[in-house]
Amino acid sequence: MVTIYVGSTAGYTGKTLVSMGLGSRFQRDGFKVGYFKPVGILPVKIDDTLTDNDAWRIYRGLNLSDPLTDLCPVVLTQELLVKSYLKDVKGLMKRIENSFKRISINKDIVIVGGYGSIYTGSFLDLQGLKVIKKLEAKVVIVVKYEGEYIADYVLQAKRDLKERFLGVILNKITPEYHKSVEEYVEPFFKRKGIDILGKVPHDSIVGSITVEELNEMLGGKVLSCHHCLGNLVEHFLIGAMQVDKAIEYFKKTRNNAVIVGGDRADIQLSAMESGSVCLILTGDLYPSEIIISRAEQKNIPIIVVREDTYSIAKKLEKLSVRLRLRDKSKVERGMKLISENVNFDLIYRKTGLRS
Amino acid sequence: MMNNFFNPKSIAVIGASRTPGKVGYDILKNLIQYGFEGAIYPINPGADNILGRKAYPSLLDVPDNIDLAVIVVPPKNVLEVINQCGAKHIDSAIIITAGFKESGIEGLKLETEIVNKAKELGMRFIGPNCLGVIDTHSKMNASFAAGMPAKGSIGFFSQSGALCLAVLDRALPDEIGFSKFISMGNKSDISDIDIMLALSEDENTKVVLGYIEGISDGKSFMEVAAKVSKKKPVIILKSGVTSSGAKAASSHTGALAGREAAFDAAFKQCGIIRVHTINDLFNYALAFANQPLPKGPDMAIITNSGGPGILAADACDKAGLQLIPLHKELVDELRTFLPPVASFYNPIDILGDSGAERYEKALLTVLKDERINGVLILLTPTATVNVEETSISIANIAKTTDRPLLTSFMGKKSIESGAKTLLRSGVPNYNYPEEAVSAINAMYRYHLWINRPEKKYHSFEGLRDKAQGIFSNAKRENRERLTELEVHDVLNAYGFNMPRSLFARTSEEAVAAAKGIGYPVVMKIISPQIIHKSDIGGVKVNLKNKKEVENAFFDITTKVKNIMPHAHIYGVLIQEMVPSGKEVIMGITKDPQFGHMIMFGLGGIYVEVLKDVSFRIVPVSQEDAYEMIRETKTFPLLRGVRGETEADIEAIEKSILILSQMAIDFPQIIEADINPLLVRKRGRGVIAIDARFAIGGD
Repeated sequence: MVTIYVGSTAGYTGKTLVSMGLGSRFQRDGFKVGYFKPVGILPVKIDDTLTDNDAWRIYRGLNLSDPLTDLCPVVLTQELLVKSYLKDVKGLMKRIENSFKRISINKDIVIVGGYGSIYTGSFLDLQGLKVIKKLEAKVVIVVKYEGEYIADYVLQAKRDLKERFLGVILNKITPEYHKSVEEYVEPFFKRKGIDILGKVPHDSIVGSITVEELNEMLGGKVLSCHHCLGNLVEHFLIGAMQVDKAIEYFKKTRNNAVIVGGDRADIQLSAMESGSVCLILTGDLYPSEIIISRAEQKNIPIIVVREDTYSIAKKLEKLSVRLRLRDKSKVERGMKLISENVNFDLIYRKTGLRS
Repeated sequence: MMNNFFNPKSIAVIGASRTPGKVGYDILKNLIQYGFEGAIYPINPGADNILGRKAYPSLLDVPDNIDLAVIVVPPKNVLEVINQCGAKHIDSAIIITAGFKESGIEGLKLETEIVNKAKELGMRFIGPNCLGVIDTHSKMNASFAAGMPAKGSIGFFSQSGALCLAVLDRALPDEIGFSKFISMGNKSDISDIDIMLALSEDENTKVVLGYIEGISDGKSFMEVAAKVSKKKPVIILKSGVTSSGAKAASSHTGALAGREAAFDAAFKQCGIIRVHTINDLFNYALAFANQPLPKGPDMAIITNSGGPGILAADACDKAGLQLIPLHKELVDELRTFLPPVASFYNPIDILGDSGAERYEKALLTVLKDERINGVLILLTPTATVNVEETSISIANIAKTTDRPLLTSFMGKKSIESGAKTLLRSGVPNYNYPEEAVSAINAMYRYHLWINRPEKKYHSFEGLRDKAQGIFSNAKRENRERLTELEVHDVLNAYGFNMPRSLFARTSEEAVAAAKGIGYPVVMKIISPQIIHKSDIGGVKVNLKNKKEVENAFFDITTKVKNIMPHAHIYGVLIQEMVPSGKEVIMGITKDPQFGHMIMFGLGGIYVEVLKDVSFRIVPVSQEDAYEMIRETKTFPLLRGVRGETEADIEAIEKSILILSQMAIDFPQIIEADINPLLVRKRGRGVIAIDARFAIGGD
């Protein structure tokens, strides 16, 4: 049995999607796959069993059948967080080991999902590095590619992981960074003996969010088109200019949501006419009936939020790094992306699963 | 103090011109043409004589005393002229010249210099950038307006010169009389406050009329306006109010209180009669200037056609005026001369075939009923009615009664001369019955205002000390808002009942707290980053047992973490479930011009949509509190509908007064709101369920 730990050197790099993508391809290639999340940070109760939301999605996505209670033995609820700061909570690592043992039975590969970075978790004495050693896992580091500097972190991870280090998957590479990957990072990693297991391009649909999630995150009220809450938003624009400029700007961007003051009927109309998929009205200002009925006609949900435009934009910026895989079409597209852009032969070879 | 502006013995026009069409020419011409009886000195270095008057090269060359300087020179020369005024001991000036702060930075600099210089010299001035001043009683037209209004008793001041011109032009054909006409321009020295005071003291002015775009000192404005309005009606058209420019506010109060709300509240509190159209400005002014005030709400309507009578009756009803039937004997008297199919009750329809005689008899009969406080006479120009004769009869009767008569002769061509006859005798005629009703209603409201007893202000002493520490602490920590627990303590100090609550960090603590308080309980997230808890699912109510509390703790903390991962969660607050009641919202907000205001409205989650709220400027009097509660459309809900018992309205009033006190005690409060404030049954008081305080500034 091979244990592959999917970790990172920072949070929100796309570990969940990579885990799901790896698992699904492994299954397709004929392996018996398990998934295990030692520490979860997204508490959810499934039939009264406390587990982690991301882990639950992968569990379902891969059609797994291990007992749910073992899927994620330590979930960081507010409760656990408070208690661990007030006094040391004992027995957590034991719980992880036991669950992992049960999950590994009858598996060729168990994918272990890390949380945060491989250095996170020390406050619970459950640091990623420590868990990796306990579970005797090989490690794939997922990096969100944001420029050459990430090489620095990968190097450190390799030093810390030693022989457990399998290689790195560069994720969410936007077109402007293609050259930087090819010209600097690939030759550099080669020289340092680091294998690049995958180069996954950024995909705006995978990075999109449904209007429903958006509304939940922003704590808004939906005023129209409750049946279109599944609309996917890929980009956010701020509507604060003159109408004629605004139309140009809105038209150039696919599947955009426009953030605009609730009293700017002119911008709201032009956004709807130029193909925006959602309006986010700020300042707790409600639009006129004309706007609402137009939105109904064009199937564009309108969300009213309390904060001003800048605060909402700031919130969305934070939000974009921690998108969750909820939507089925997004998941499928994401898995395909992994399958196509990760070098599975190399992984199999390095883990001895195939020669 | 402002006598020289309106009744000077001598005027110098600095910048007088020989060229027709120039402002310096028009002003001089107006002064001469409309018969100013004092001395006039044109000042122009290049002329010996203008319009038959000897001209002087400079002010300093005039040998005599000058009371008023009218300045029309280019902006860069104004300062020099002001200096000369100082040398000539002239203490009053009208600066017509434009090109000051309205034109940019350079202009602003010039204007500041002028203001400072005038202050130094002890000189007062109107303007700059204005049309001038007209006083019909001293026959002084020191303006470049085309025309001179008739002598009358309306004193008009306006921030907009263009509006002055429009009003004047509209007044000319109808010979509507004015006492004074003051174009204020940039108001850089003499302000609305000064003018209101001057008009209040002016014997020739019965009605103060104003057009205002903005004011600089809200508190003093209110103080003066409240005094003036007790003496004379003050009717103001206020423009330039938009809500969209309002700063993004973090809780309800701010979002609802644009500056419009502040002006509206301020005007109500100081007895200003506010109009929203130029038409109403005229309509009201004519009624107030010419007719006595109705001493009660009981009106009679005399009409020669059904439709307009019904419209007028509807309008009366909506305005809160009443149409009572006449005494029986007077109804019988009507029967003696009206056709049997006429309507003898109020509105009294004397039918379409009425002539002047029937109008006269009907009006005399109505006036015999002392209970009638005012009469509206409606006329549709039928073939049989003689408009001219009818108007003469009404005009004659108007002279003999101390009750207001307003007419609405409808139409245009056939009623024109009749309307003029009426107006000449002081009976204003309105195009439509609703306008007449609106005017007489304004007069009745004004009657109530001047007869209202002095406002009573409560002061709640000793409350401040208990809350002082909290505010000082927040200031020391340079915080913008008070924490949940601080809010609790402040409200407690001011005597607000609040639900019993205990803080918990874990679900075990929460269960223990719930046990202590007693089920059922409410759970609320406590985090400094979360202001509107229920928006993000941070509130659960009616938790009935241990299991529900545990689940709620998990749900709330998880949800918040998910939505706002950067928010720090202190824990949760376990509160007793309060008894049922009506939810209202109450708050303090701060207006840049008028200072703190108190807001009141129906609460709950629909407050932003309904926007059914009322405002008053602090300090709020007992009467203000009474009125602001009744002003909301949803007030009947507090009274109780469909057999409900009445809510504790007195407790709401008291809470408003306490908040007013709090705003006085702690001026650093930028915004506070209690939402919801739960109002229990009469006698059981109110409970503040949730509240927020934003602080800053001093």
